[in-house]
This record gives sequence, structure tokens and C-alpha cells, in this order.
Amino acid sequence: MATRLKCNDTIPERDAHIIIKGDGTGCSIKSNSATTPGDMTERGCTYAGCRGVVGGPVKDAIQLSHGPIGCAFYSWGYRPHVADTDFHMKYTFVSDMDESNVVFGGEKKLLQSVIEAAAEFPDAKGVFVYNTCTAALIGDDGKDVAKMAQEEIGKPVVFFACEGFRGVSQSQGHHVGNETIFRNLVGSVEPEEDYAYSINILGDYNIKNDIKTFEPLFQALGLKIITRFTGNVSVDELKIMHKAKLNVIHCTRSATYIADMMKDKYGTPSISVTLWGIANMSKALRETAAFFGLEKEAERVIKTEVAKVQPKIDHFKKRLAGKKVIIYQGGPRAWHWPELLEELGMEVIGAATTFGHHDDYEKIYSKVGDGTLIMDNPNVPELEEILRTYKPDIFIAGNKEKYLAYKLGVPFLNGHTYETGPYAGFSGMVNFARDLDKALSAPVWKLVRDQARPSPVSTLDLEEDVA
Amino acid sequence: MRQIAFYGKGGIGKSTTQQNTAAALASLGNKIMVVGCDPKADCTRLLLRGKRQDTVLDTLRVVGPDKVTLDAVISEGYGEVKCVESGGPEPGVGCGGRGVITSIQTLQELGAYTDQLDYVFYDVLGDVVCGGFAMPIREGYAEEIYIVASGEYMALFAANNISKGIKKFATRGYARLAGIVCNSRLVENERELVEEFARRINTNLIHFVPRSKDVQRAEINKKTVIDYDNTLPQASEYLQLAAKIQANTNFTVPTPIEQDELEDLMKEYGIVD
Repeated sequence: MATRLKCNDTIPERDAHIIIKGDGTGCSIKSNSATTPGDMTERGCTYAGCRGVVGGPVKDAIQLSHGPIGCAFYSWGYRPHVADTDFHMKYTFVSDMDESNVVFGGEKKLLQSVIEAAAEFPDAKGVFVYNTCTAALIGDDGKDVAKMAQEEIGKPVVFFACEGFRGVSQSQGHHVGNETIFRNLVGSVEPEEDYAYSINILGDYNIKNDIKTFEPLFQALGLKIITRFTGNVSVDELKIMHKAKLNVIHCTRSATYIADMMKDKYGTPSISVTLWGIANMSKALRETAAFFGLEKEAERVIKTEVAKVQPKIDHFKKRLAGKKVIIYQGGPRAWHWPELLEELGMEVIGAATTFGHHDDYEKIYSKVGDGTLIMDNPNVPELEEILRTYKPDIFIAGNKEKYLAYKLGVPFLNGHTYETGPYAGFSGMVNFARDLDKALSAPVWKLVRDQARPSPVSTLDLEEDVA
Repeated sequence: MRQIAFYGKGGIGKSTTQQNTAAALASLGNKIMVVGCDPKADCTRLLLRGKRQDTVLDTLRVVGPDKVTLDAVISEGYGEVKCVESGGPEPGVGCGGRGVITSIQTLQELGAYTDQLDYVFYDVLGDVVCGGFAMPIREGYAEEIYIVASGEYMALFAANNISKGIKKFATRGYARLAGIVCNSRLVENERELVEEFARRINTNLIHFVPRSKDVQRAEINKKTVIDYDNTLPQASEYLQLAAKIQANTNFTVPTPIEQDELEDLMKEYGIVD
């Protein structure tokens, strides 16, 4: 049932986005709808979702925004989707539209930008062009420019119609990214190799090298990951992803689109998994192995690998057990993680996402206990209020919430881009547990409690006293 | 300083009427600036006797916003009328609307709007297609709007649409409709029809400009009628229009009519069977 926070007395529309599990009304939360005026939403835009999340991690493409200069920096570098090339993430490119380009059109400048960037970086395997609001509003035909540029440079030039104003959040940008990569790259070459034991991992973006935790596990089963959509991935790997026999989807919010399109066109089946946590990772290996008849190998790998990490996890579990957590992530992590927090003996008392859709909230609802607060697209006053009233032992959110938590004296873990990381796979679970322990056991919390500064006194009161 | 904008259906003779009126007002001793707000940049040709001038937007593009000067974008034409063309992109690219905004703001920043001016004319392209083309009637710019029309259905349809735009802005307290100039197309009952139309949308037919070959003759010679031969009867028509504008105080919020009413009006005056 809709729930009122005190800070929402003036925006009652927000009530429908906040529910408490177990009040008998089910998962009735409102989500993926337009922002209510007055709500200082933390949502991103379609351009951010496409450039920042889906397209950006492709490691050997020139990442070029078609728009004003500010669209370049403020879409770049805030997600550590690392890769094994020297080129990746070092550069961001922009057509740098100015007033004159707006009035007279920016197509020529875009064409020139693509050609210049391609000449300057001849090792790049293609150019990704992201459209911004400005270029879209004046009707620049970026798609046509991309076609011309592609003929000119002889490499794929992929145009993403990801104008910021489309959709209600960055979620639309994930969709555009999926569709555009699928239509322009997937299946554009037909290699002759044997792909009988091959999979794609969809919806992993290699945050702080997550892939290194789970790729060896799949390899140990005898499986080859052709394409990681889109962590540490090359343009050439995207072209051949249709050769995989199975799509293994990790982030179902941002990458189910391409799985569905591949199923329609190539008949590729898919399974949804979670690659975080011991139980989830084991389940992912088992389900993937079952598809290929590799059950025995899976059990062997799980047994050996879990044995390596279990003592360390047990050590942290003792220290973390009983701690209460509020988790707020962009989308699926808010339902992926309650289970691994449980594995560490911790309890989720609140879960929220920025851009989750109803299916995400249904999954959260099924994984948390009665009395848990579930929120859609929370804003800062709401977060402040729930941190004060629910008093969690730790808050897991993204970088932008970090100092809010610290100022309120609440230990914090950056779940969005990780503290140290990586957190996926079996070995990542140890990192996750260690970072949680570090956050909770930092000596500063004891100091804060013992030696809290007195509240500031109003100077007005002082003057009155003097008088 | 009175600021006046001319709107009307494309091809109705807006620029011709505007320039001939500017020339007539100038000949009555007024200081005038004409700002062409059409990307085609053809709003000052007759005043400049065919001379092409650099547009504001082209100049901005070439020398940059820091180095643009009024001298570079203002040319003096007949009767010391200061002529400016904002210019804009070629058809099909860029944003002409943004161009109008940029151009007028540039003129403002450079101090083109001096107290010495008696009139500023804005000549805006056929349809108010987006916010940019409404720039001349935003706060601080034109307060009087003349719609150039004829007795043809599409001309009145456009005039009615433009009056809807003016009404929208009028609620914010800016521009007012100052009248309709009928640029005759020799349609039957034309004067009566346009007079009645004007009455229905709460304004007046300020002047009926008869059709005359002398206008075309002057145009071929790249001149306004007054510049070409001020003894022609058509020259006195424009002088009359200029005098009426000078004396006009009837500025109203228009009451645009429904399409059905406009169609009935056409039938009533025998234009449509």
C-alpha cells in the first residue's frame, strides 16, 4: 500500500512509489512513470543510459557524442567499466556544437569529427555516435551522416538515437543501445569456427573487472564466452555474438532486449542468472552447464572454487551477522543482492531502485522479508528521512549518496561502482564481504559516537544573550 | 520608437508591402530600421536597390560573436532606412527559428535599438512554425502586428492562425494586433470580405492596397514604388497606408474564429459556391 513519508506531505504523488511488504496489499508499487513535478529525482536521461551504460564499455570504438561540449565530459568516466586496451576510457569525443552549428546545422561538423577521430586513432574498430537533445531538436540527420562516414572510413559508424528527452529515465537509453547494436553490428560477419560450446554474457559491464571473477569459471566448464554485452568487449566480438548457443543474462533490466531480438532472429535461447553471491553464482553455473550437458563439470568446479573462498566468507559472516541494510541501486542490483547479504547473515530492511520497472519490484518483493520498505526512484530528502528513521547499520547505494550517508553517521558501501571490487563470482564475494566489514568497522564510527560535536548554535541567540 | 512586425501567408506580398510602407514612412521623415527575419534573406532587397548584404548569422559564423559589429550587419538603403537581414540556414538543415533568436539578441547586445529610431520593422517568414519565429513579438520587441492578407481562403486561414498566436502572447501582456493590410488579389467582394473578417477577429482593415502593375515594375528595377516613381498612384496608396499606421492607436487582442465560421464567411461573400 502507498506509504507517506513526512517529507512527502507536499508531494502526495510520491506515496504510490513507496510500499511496505507484508501489509496484505501485494507489490502495488508505481514505477517507470514520468517524474512528478517537485520531486528532485536522481534519474538520468536516455543519452546517459545509452552512452554511459550500454555503448560506453565497448573498448575499441571511438565514443563520440554529437552535441555541445558539456555532453562529453558529463557522460564519461563515472562508471569504471574497465577493459584490457590502452585506448579504452582514456578518451571521449564530441562534435562540440556551438550556436552557429545549431542555426546552420551540425551535420558537416559531425562528419568531419568522425573522419578526424578515425584518422587520429587508426586502431579503433569503429565509431559510436550518440545523439544529444540539441542535435535532435534541430533535425540533424545523424543516421545519414553515419552512413556517409562509414563509407569514408571503411569501418562501422553506428548512430544511436538516444536523445536525452526520450523516455522517463535512463532505462530508455539501455533499450536504444541494445536495439542499435543489434541492428547495426550483430551478425554482420559469419566466422567459420566451431561455436558448439559457446555463450554470451549479457548485461555485465565489467565494473572493476567483474568478468575476471566469473569468466574462468565458465571456461573451467569447457565453455567459451564469445561476447560480453558490453564489458571488455570489442566491436568484432559484437559482430559475431549471434554464433553463441546460449545467452546468459545477468542484468535483465538493461540487456533482455537484445536477448529477445536474438531469440526472434536467430532462435538463441536465454537464461536469467545472478552472478553475485555463492548460491547465485553456483546456480548460474549449474543452469548454464545443464543446457550443454556439463552438469558433472559444474559440480566439480563449484566444489573446488567454493572451498577456496568459504573459510574467508565464514570469517566475515561472523562479523557481519545481524547487521541491517538499506540498499538503493539503479535497477536489478536491489533484487540481486538481498540474497547474498543473507548469505552473510545480514538483513535487508529497505530496497530501492532509480529506474526499475514493475518486474524488478516483483523480484525485490519476493526476496525481502515482511516489513521491508520498498521505494521507487527515491530523492535525497526521502533517503535522508529513511536513513534517520530506519537507522540501518549500513547503506549500500551509489557514489552520489555517499556523503549523505556519511553526514548522517551511517556506514556506506558503494554498490554502484564498488569500493575496491570486483564483487561478482565466488572470489568477488570475498571482496564484497571484506568491503562491508571495512565500512562497518571503520574506527571513525566509534569516534563519531564518542566525540560528536555539539550542534551549531544560532548567532542570533548569542546576540540576544549578550543583549 | 514603435516596433512593428509583419506576418502573413507566404507569397502574399509581405516583404513588398513592408518595404514600400517603410519607404513611405521614411519619405515622411521617419528614421527606420528593417529587420528581415526570414532565412531566405529577401526582406530588404528593394530598399537596398538590389544590393546583397551580409546577414547577421553569416557574419557571426565567419568572424565569431566577439568580433561582429553593427557596421558589418547594417546597410543603409532608401530614405536612410537601416537594413538588417538575420539570414539563416539553407532549407532542410539547422534551426532557422534559433537563428532569429540569435540574430535579434545580437542586435540588442550591439545596441542597434537606439532612441533615434522612430520605427523598427520585423518582416517574418510565412508561418510562425516554432518559438523562434515568434521572437519578434516577445516582450521588449514588436508591440504592434500587421497581418498582410488578401480575399483568398488560404490567406485568411493563415491570418486567423497568426491571430491565434498573437492571442496566446497577448495574455502575457505583450504584442497586440494593429490591423490587416489587404494586398489585393482581385478577388470578388474582396474589400468587403476582408473588412468583415477583420471585424470578426476584433481588428480593422487598415488599408486596401489595390493590385497594380507598377509594383512589379518597380520590383524589376529593384526599387520600392516611391523610390521608382513617387508620382504613380500606387505610391500614394503606400503613403496613405504609412499615414494610417502613423495615426493608428487601435491595438487589440484578436478573437480568432473557428474554421467553420471562416468557411461560412467565404460562402456568404460568394467566393465559394
